[in-house]
Amino acid sequence: MLKSLETEFLGKTISNPLVLPAGIMGMAFSGFNISVENGVGIVMSKSLTLVPRKGHEGPVITEVQNGLLNSMGLCNPGINDGLYEIDQFKERSQIPVIVSVFATKTNDFLKLTLKANRSQADFLELNLSCPNVFDEFGIPLAASKDKVYEIVKTVKQNSKLPVIAKLSPNVHDIVSVAKAAESAGVDALCMINTVGPGMAIDTKMVKPILFNTFGGLSGPAIKPLALKLIYETYSAVNVPIIGMGGVTYGIDAVEMLMSGAVLIGVGTAIYYRGIDVFAKINKELNNFLQESDYQQLKDIPKLEKLDG
Amino acid sequence: MDKRITLPITKIITEATDIKTFGFEYDLKAKPGQFIMLTDFGKGEKPFSLADCTKTEFFITIKQIGDFTTRLFQKDVGDLISIRGPYGSSFFISQGNVLLIGGGFATPPLYFLSKELLKIGTKITVINGAKTNQQLIFSDRFEQLELNYMSTTQFGAHGNGTAVDRTKKLLKKEQFDYLYASGPEMMLNALSTILKDDEYEFLLERYMKCAVGICGSCTLDPIGIRLCMEGPVLPKRIVEQLTEFGKYHRDASGMRIKF
Repeated sequence: MLKSLETEFLGKTISNPLVLPAGIMGMAFSGFNISVENGVGIVMSKSLTLVPRKGHEGPVITEVQNGLLNSMGLCNPGINDGLYEIDQFKERSQIPVIVSVFATKTNDFLKLTLKANRSQADFLELNLSCPNVFDEFGIPLAASKDKVYEIVKTVKQNSKLPVIAKLSPNVHDIVSVAKAAESAGVDALCMINTVGPGMAIDTKMVKPILFNTFGGLSGPAIKPLALKLIYETYSAVNVPIIGMGGVTYGIDAVEMLMSGAVLIGVGTAIYYRGIDVFAKINKELNNFLQESDYQQLKDIPKLEKLDG
Repeated sequence: MDKRITLPITKIITEATDIKTFGFEYDLKAKPGQFIMLTDFGKGEKPFSLADCTKTEFFITIKQIGDFTTRLFQKDVGDLISIRGPYGSSFFISQGNVLLIGGGFATPPLYFLSKELLKIGTKITVINGAKTNQQLIFSDRFEQLELNYMSTTQFGAHGNGTAVDRTKKLLKKEQFDYLYASGPEMMLNALSTILKDDEYEFLLERYMKCAVGICGSCTLDPIGIRLCMEGPVLPKRIVEQLTEFGKYHRDASGMRIKF
């Protein structure tokens, strides 16, 4: 029997909790189309910047044990073309869209916000945490709770869309950053971005495999870390959390829901299980609900919050 | 799954002043139409279709176009290259009477295909087109195979039309059970208009970044199939659904570029 995987997110009903995260399949409207056809509940664009970026040269990705290292370098067609792709998708689909944007200055985030206001996107994600452009931009903004507060505050004052902050796991105290975003009025959090960064070496060439030398770690290897950080953050804030990091099977999604997330990002799992991984995970979620005698997704309980 | 190997170049064959074939001794287990990602560490990584693949060797044919290929052209036998793959879909191995249409330096994958088709006794005709005689490659290789080989050049003293012109003429005289084409997209686009009643597969090209189906750089509008996974060989029923086919592609940033 099919159980309801429906869930609510910031006032919108989503057919299932699976999110296409930023940087996965989201370059063109056709990438959204095929992901939706394969069962994703809500899609997110590549992180868009004010001007187009070609990203790093390759290799931009390499497999490591239980995960992938990637360093795309924020390739994207720029905010104007990126929003056009979203609008093209929206012409034929009711599926909610999160537009993700990246900048390094508050004023640039403001400019991106004003452009996003005029699009058909449903939510705005602020990518404060790309680990792969360190050479260019330095330490990610999400490392500074003051910076996060300032950016979220400015964007919230000007955004017509609910605002989501994407947090980095590569900081000393993610909970205080999450609290700073919450006190600045953020509507939701998205966590975690890729971990590290790390590296891999070609031993015959004696060279780093990735062009950018370092790349963010994703995949099953990071799931325990993601669960821990989401749980700690869930215990300390009251805004909804989009959880992601290594979710590959339905049971991983269940763990993440129990840790405090309301929506679940699935990206690297496409590599392991194919583009239909969303449909597969939804089926596994359905099986879990049946086996556990839950009527619907919303019945899956959360862990008791950690004591503050 | 990320099958990266680092190995020496074992053969370099000059096909034209700006086209070379690089050979490697390795059992890559690739099928015709598939591609590899080739890394020049610290410089970049690009996809290349296989020109041939046996149990002991594989070959890629490369045209010198930009910085990346210019540096490759400076490499010698013995120099190490890192690759990953093979990736992507392969050509359907059809029986019966088939026509292969190649354009310029995109022809070599059809040579690999010819060898596989001959193994099951398929009757093959090849039309190999190039702009000039100098750019016409792989003629000697095709001529060594048991097939009907025709070459055609667009310009120059012996110019006698494009591969598309030659295909039109041939189709008036002969019927084929299956057609295959690899060449510039505008050539494929022209072919698609004259192959309304025929079954075919095209080898397409798009900018690829991850090559493992995650990044979305090579999804094709509007259906979103990923050229690195569901392609690069696409059957007619897919090609006919592509609104971007023959119109535009996307660059490294994802911006649309008109053909």
